[in-house]
Amino acid sequence: MTSPSAIIVRAATAFDRWVRDPVDPRPLAWFRCWLGLLSLVNLWLLWPDMPMWLGNDGVLPPDVHRTLIGDTRISVYLATGYSDAAIGLIRGLGLVGGLGLLTGVLPRCAAACVWLATVSYSWRAMEILHSGDNLIRIGAFFLMFAGSGGALSLPRAVRRWWFRQTDHEPDGRWLPVPAWPQRILQLQLCVLYLTAGIWKTLGLTWRNGTAVGLVLQLGEFQRFPIPDCFLTPVMAQVMTFATLAFELGFPLLIWIPRLRLPVLLAGLAFHAGLDWAMNVQLFQWLITAYYLLWLKPPTRLGPACPD
Amino acid sequence: MNRLRRSVASRSTAADRAPIGLILAAVRHWQTILVAGYTLAAFSWTMPAQLFPPKPLIDSFSARPLLLLGLWQAWDMFSPDPRSDDICVELRSTDRDGTIDRRMLTDMVSMGYAERWQKDRWRKYCNDHLRLDAERILWQPFAEYAARRLRAEGHDPLTIELIRWWRPCEPLLSPKLRADRRQTDWSSYVFHRWGVPREWDR
Repeated sequence: MTSPSAIIVRAATAFDRWVRDPVDPRPLAWFRCWLGLLSLVNLWLLWPDMPMWLGNDGVLPPDVHRTLIGDTRISVYLATGYSDAAIGLIRGLGLVGGLGLLTGVLPRCAAACVWLATVSYSWRAMEILHSGDNLIRIGAFFLMFAGSGGALSLPRAVRRWWFRQTDHEPDGRWLPVPAWPQRILQLQLCVLYLTAGIWKTLGLTWRNGTAVGLVLQLGEFQRFPIPDCFLTPVMAQVMTFATLAFELGFPLLIWIPRLRLPVLLAGLAFHAGLDWAMNVQLFQWLITAYYLLWLKPPTRLGPACPD
Repeated sequence: MNRLRRSVASRSTAADRAPIGLILAAVRHWQTILVAGYTLAAFSWTMPAQLFPPKPLIDSFSARPLLLLGLWQAWDMFSPDPRSDDICVELRSTDRDGTIDRRMLTDMVSMGYAERWQKDRWRKYCNDHLRLDAERILWQPFAEYAARRLRAEGHDPLTIELIRWWRPCEPLLSPKLRADRRQTDWSSYVFHRWGVPREWDR
């Protein structure tokens, strides 16, 4: 019979190993690339409206912003003050950082640029933020500490093909990188789903099965047409309870290796459905970046050197 | 006497060693402590207070670093309940020549797919913030911004009005309740009116 304290010690040891044992660099590289691309799309969507949201003559002039935000946070505004020059800076940082993440050029610096751009507009215009901004900010922050340049990287490709250098181990495996940034982002995804599910359990409409039916009536979120067979009270109940089951189940089932792929595929289907039915910009896309961190890369040897 | 001294000395060394050992272990396992600490902080930050009693204590430690580093977060969309009213915000301006210009700012259904996607932050700002009495501080700056934009378009606004529109959702879903097919009447209320002085901002 195993005592509770022995179980705790074993669990703590396993967790410690999971966090500290180095990992294959590819999931972090996939995450970096996809997050970089999506941060560029986010910047492109935000770009034309930046003077309105962030400018001194916009909808949030400095005196109003000062009243709304009591604290100071790290942002480019610490350097520029309330100046429209900050808009150019945010655009530049977002563009350079997004391209850097996408291509793997100086990925830590690129992550810092994306993070700084995102925290800056987030601080200046809290009222326009959506959950996708949280995912960009948090992802970019931990990428600053991650060895994510080991795969899907332009400099690495140049080194391999032009200078015939390799950064594989002699047996062809990828050089492992510290795991903790990947682990923290994996756990972040679990926290996201778990707390989203827990919040929903507090709502009467989530418990009686009408919540999704209400959401589908809101014109502000309406996107592409949905077949009439989905727009019935029974289907609304099914979709409501399926949402609850998925959000509460994901953080538990994802730890079971045999179920991991089906859970991720269910999540993809869930978010694809949401993206089709609801107009919420980039959140459904950004969350798929976090899915990549759960994938197990193929175990075959890395690509051979040119010679 | 010597034995006593040795005994006291060895005890104090062991006592000194314990915290040092703890510190060294913490340094050796800093990644694990960081990952566990961050996860706990993020969980506490995003949990409803009534379901997580240690939240005030944990948040009191983690709030500053999370805010400072841009790691704050919220995952409570459509929670605890989604909105039960379909809503919209209108900007109505009356020019000095009597012309009335009406713009439904967040009538997303009337926009094309690409436009409504691009304007999602616009919807968020108007429907989740500007519309609310609790955020009346936003009303006048928005009216002033609108006046500037209207002047740039060649209008000469005399009054700017911000109007809420709403219609209730039905508890039981049916195909005819989608916003683009729905026949329910809208209600409206002017929540901010500003007479634009002729010389304002010239």
